[in-house]
Amino acid sequence: MRCEDIKKIFPDYLVGDLDQSSAEDIQSHIADCPACRQELEDLSAVWTKLGVLPEEHPSNGLREQFYRELEEYKAEMNREKPLHHLKQFFSSLFYLSRSGRPAYQFALGSIPLFIGLSLGYLLFSGRQNADLHREVQDMRQMLAVSLLDQRSTTERLRGVNLSYGLENPDNKMIQALLATLNNDPNINVRLAAVDALYLFYDSPSVREGIILSLSQQNSPFLQVALVDLLVSVQERQALESFKKLIEANQLDPKLKQKLEQGIKELSY
Amino acid sequence: MSTKNQGLHDVNLYSDNKLMEDVKEGKVEKMAVLFEKHHVSLFNFFMRLTGNRNISEDLVQDVFMRMLKYRSTYQGRSKFTLWMYQIARNAHIDFLRKKKNTLPLDEQWSEPITSEASPAEKLEGGQEVQLMRQALAQLPLKKREVLILSRYQNLKYKEIAELMDCHIGTVKAHVHRAIKELGKIYFELQGGTVS
Repeated sequence: MRCEDIKKIFPDYLVGDLDQSSAEDIQSHIADCPACRQELEDLSAVWTKLGVLPEEHPSNGLREQFYRELEEYKAEMNREKPLHHLKQFFSSLFYLSRSGRPAYQFALGSIPLFIGLSLGYLLFSGRQNADLHREVQDMRQMLAVSLLDQRSTTERLRGVNLSYGLENPDNKMIQALLATLNNDPNINVRLAAVDALYLFYDSPSVREGIILSLSQQNSPFLQVALVDLLVSVQERQALESFKKLIEANQLDPKLKQKLEQGIKELSY
Repeated sequence: MSTKNQGLHDVNLYSDNKLMEDVKEGKVEKMAVLFEKHHVSLFNFFMRLTGNRNISEDLVQDVFMRMLKYRSTYQGRSKFTLWMYQIARNAHIDFLRKKKNTLPLDEQWSEPITSEASPAEKLEGGQEVQLMRQALAQLPLKKREVLILSRYQNLKYKEIAELMDCHIGTVKAHVHRAIKELGKIYFELQGGTVS
C-alpha cells in the first residue's frame, strides 16, 4: 500500500477500530517505511498523552438548578393548558358576536359559568403541579437509591448528594443510606451518608440506625462524625452506646475525648 | 447492600431512546434520568471545549433545557447521544456568537478554571495537565471538537460524520491533522519531546 493510503487508516488504528487485514497492512508497511513508522509513533504518543486530562465534576449547584428548572418547565406546561382553552373560548365568542347569530346570547350568558369552570381548572392544575413536584421527588429518590448501588465511588457519592434535596425520603431511601453508612468501602461516601442522614434525623429509623452504626463502625474518623451528629441533635438514647464504646480497649484518643464530651453534654 | 439491589435495575430500566420518547410524549420528569446519565460527560465535553467551569455548567443546563424545548423534534431513529451532542454543539456555537466581541476563543482557556488545581489534577501531575489544556486551546475549534468527540466522548468516526454532516473520510482527516498539530503545539510549549 502507498503511504497516502496507509495514513488514511491511522485514525482507525488509534481508536482500535481496525479489522485484521488492515492491521496487517499497517504492520507490513511500517516495517519497511521509517517515515510512516515515525508518524504513527508520534500520533500514538499524542493520543495517549491526551489521557492526562482528568475527568472533571460539576458543582452540586448544576443539579439543583436542573431540577428547579425541570419543575418550572412542567409547571409552565400545566399552566398553558387552561390558558389555551381560555383563548379558544374567547376567540369563538368573538366569532359568534361578529356573526350576529342568536348563539351570541347564549355565549354571553355562559361567561360566568365558564369563569367558574376555568377557576376550577386552574385549581386542578395547581394540584397537578403538586403532583409533578412529587413525581420529580420520586424520580430523584429512585435515582439516588440506584446510584448508591453502583460500583464507581463517584457515582455512589452522586447518589448521596442527590438524596440531600429530598423532602420526604421513604424507607427504601433511608435503608439505602444506612446500608451505605455501614457497608460502603469508601470512607468519603460513608461520611457523606452521615451528612445526608443528619438531614433526615426526624425519622425514627434514622435515629435507631445511627446509634446502631456507631458500634459497628471500624473507622474512628467516622465514629467521631457520628458522635458529633448524635450530640448536636441531643440524642439521649445514644448515651448507653457512648458508655459501652468508651470502655473498649485501644480506643482512638480523639474518639475517646469526643465520647467523654458527648456523655457530659447528654447527661445534663 | 442487598436492600439496594432493586435500584440497580431501575437506572438501566429504559434505554436513552425510550426515555427521550417518553419525554417527547409529555413525561418530562424522565429527563431527570437522562440528566443523571449524561450530565457529567456533557460537562467534560464543554470543559475541554471551553476550559471554563462556569461556562460549561451553564452550557450543560442550556442543553437540557433545549432538549425539553425541542423534545417534539426528537426522532428515535438515531442515537439519543448524537441528538444531544447536536444540541450541545448548537448551544456552544450560540455561546461563541454572543461572546464573539467580548472574549477571543483562545483566551477563554487562559481564564483560571478554578483558583487552585483540582485534587485529580494534583494527583496526576498538574503541569502536564496544564500543558495539554493549553495545547488543546490553541487548536482550531473544528479540529479540537473532532478530537474531543473521538478521544473523550467515545463517539465513532461514523457518528461524528453524521453529527457534522460530512463524510467519514473528512472526520478521519480532521482527527489525523488535529493530532499532528496538537503534538507540534505541545512540543513547542513543553520545549522538549512529546513522549
